[in-house]
Amino acid sequence: MKSVARNARLKLTEAEIREFAKDLEDVLSYFSILDKAPDTGKHDFNSVPVSNVLREDEVSREINAEMLRDSMDTYQDMVRGPKLT
Amino acid sequence: MTCLISTEKLTALNDKYRPFAEIAQDLKEMNEYPPKFHFSAKDNICATGFQARAGSKILEGYRPPFDATVVRKMREANGILIGKTNMDEFGFGTFCTNSAFGIPLNPYDLERTCGGSSGGAAAITALLDKHVALAESTGGSISCPASFCGVIGFTPTYGRVSRYGLIDYANSLDKIGLVTRSVADLKRFLPVISGPDRRDPTSCVQPELRLDGPKVKSVAIPEEALQNLDPAVLRAFETALDKLSEMGIEAHRVSMPSLGFALAAYYVLATSEASTNLARYKGMLFGVRGGKIDQSFNDYFSEVRSANFGKEAKRRVLLGTYTRMVGFRDRYYLKALAVRQLIIKEYQGLMEKDDLIITPTMPFIAPRFTEIAKMKPLEIYQADFLTVPPNLTGMPHISLPCGYEDKMPIGMQLVAPHWEERRLLDVAERWCDDFKIRFPEVSG
Repeated sequence: MKSVARNARLKLTEAEIREFAKDLEDVLSYFSILDKAPDTGKHDFNSVPVSNVLREDEVSREINAEMLRDSMDTYQDMVRGPKLT
Repeated sequence: MTCLISTEKLTALNDKYRPFAEIAQDLKEMNEYPPKFHFSAKDNICATGFQARAGSKILEGYRPPFDATVVRKMREANGILIGKTNMDEFGFGTFCTNSAFGIPLNPYDLERTCGGSSGGAAAITALLDKHVALAESTGGSISCPASFCGVIGFTPTYGRVSRYGLIDYANSLDKIGLVTRSVADLKRFLPVISGPDRRDPTSCVQPELRLDGPKVKSVAIPEEALQNLDPAVLRAFETALDKLSEMGIEAHRVSMPSLGFALAAYYVLATSEASTNLARYKGMLFGVRGGKIDQSFNDYFSEVRSANFGKEAKRRVLLGTYTRMVGFRDRYYLKALAVRQLIIKEYQGLMEKDDLIITPTMPFIAPRFTEIAKMKPLEIYQADFLTVPPNLTGMPHISLPCGYEDKMPIGMQLVAPHWEERRLLDVAERWCDDFKIRFPEVSG
């Protein structure tokens, strides 16, 4: 559970780890019913056929850049974020 | 012309029933020419002038600078957006008890749920005359609350309605639809919100929406869907089948073995997709910001997510992360994709013989909050076993009120082949000519 939480970028308390571990155990045990399902070999992502919709690029500004800037943590027109290391 | 809708009236309704996450503060446009209609949008649908929080604390303060395509279309058709409706966080729930902004209450009984995740949408539609609600369904979030609140819930074919401006839960499953009080409203507003939109490629392959066509002659009832039902629901459903027969619609009992795999396949796909979609909430782009900026990348993100996601959101992110991990992907995710195709094929086979598939919408009437509090997460997921199959297949479906147990509504659900919304409209129109939908007595 700790490893899954780390991958999911969640910091859990010990109580949460115990609770979610039990919940997931129940649910995953239920998911094992899928082992009995026949494999159709078809793994389409969408439930209906979807085709690529391509068009020429068009230059436009539909959203105000200043509004975007003001909604983020910025410093001198740059977005502030945490360290990468 | 006198406007019957005011912020004061909506606030009074909200104080008692809590359907809204946010209410419009200025509704004078309702009185302007040309005549207007009022609508609401589930809080995961973006609209200018309102926050879009999708029931989550992590989106507190996020004000989208654009309208979702469906909101733009409704506004262009002279609709006035009167509020954003409350919902389970990101759509994660069956009873609308997982919102960070209060729990909407059933208009028929304040001690009961109005259903989820579009609970606020169904509640306000039941409460407010002439109202239409934009809602969204991933695994039953339109049918379920429509059934519990006694209104009409319509989920179009996956791809019929643009999702541009929708806060994603699971991209391969999300569908925007309608909650209405009448079939006339459904026929009026479905064409308004439907149609191709270059901002959502899944909407660009759809055939034309047709409202009229051949009359529906028969429906199929999967035996597997009639197990573990509340006796009151089964009674109301069987009475409804008798009425359909009197209307000239035959019902045939069939077997649909793949239904047994639908719930597991759905929860694998939905949580897998949700766990990747929710990766964007990290305290930088939308809503609340993270804490100390001098932390490491992962600590910063983890801290803000842990502090602001609710319990069910954490549970589903964990589940979806697990089922996508190395070593489990083939067993869960790929198998679930294969099962989806199996179920689509089985539905299609049945609908070569019968026009529609019919089941009750929910296995029980709206439960009390005290009963919900005793349910384990898996038991809550299992309550979706009737609404999940059509959602998994992307097939259009409708929940119609079909009876009452004491005062509480009971719904039936009809499923049509992809793009055949008109079959549902045909039955809905004929059904509602005969069946009188009740609405709750409202006191503000």
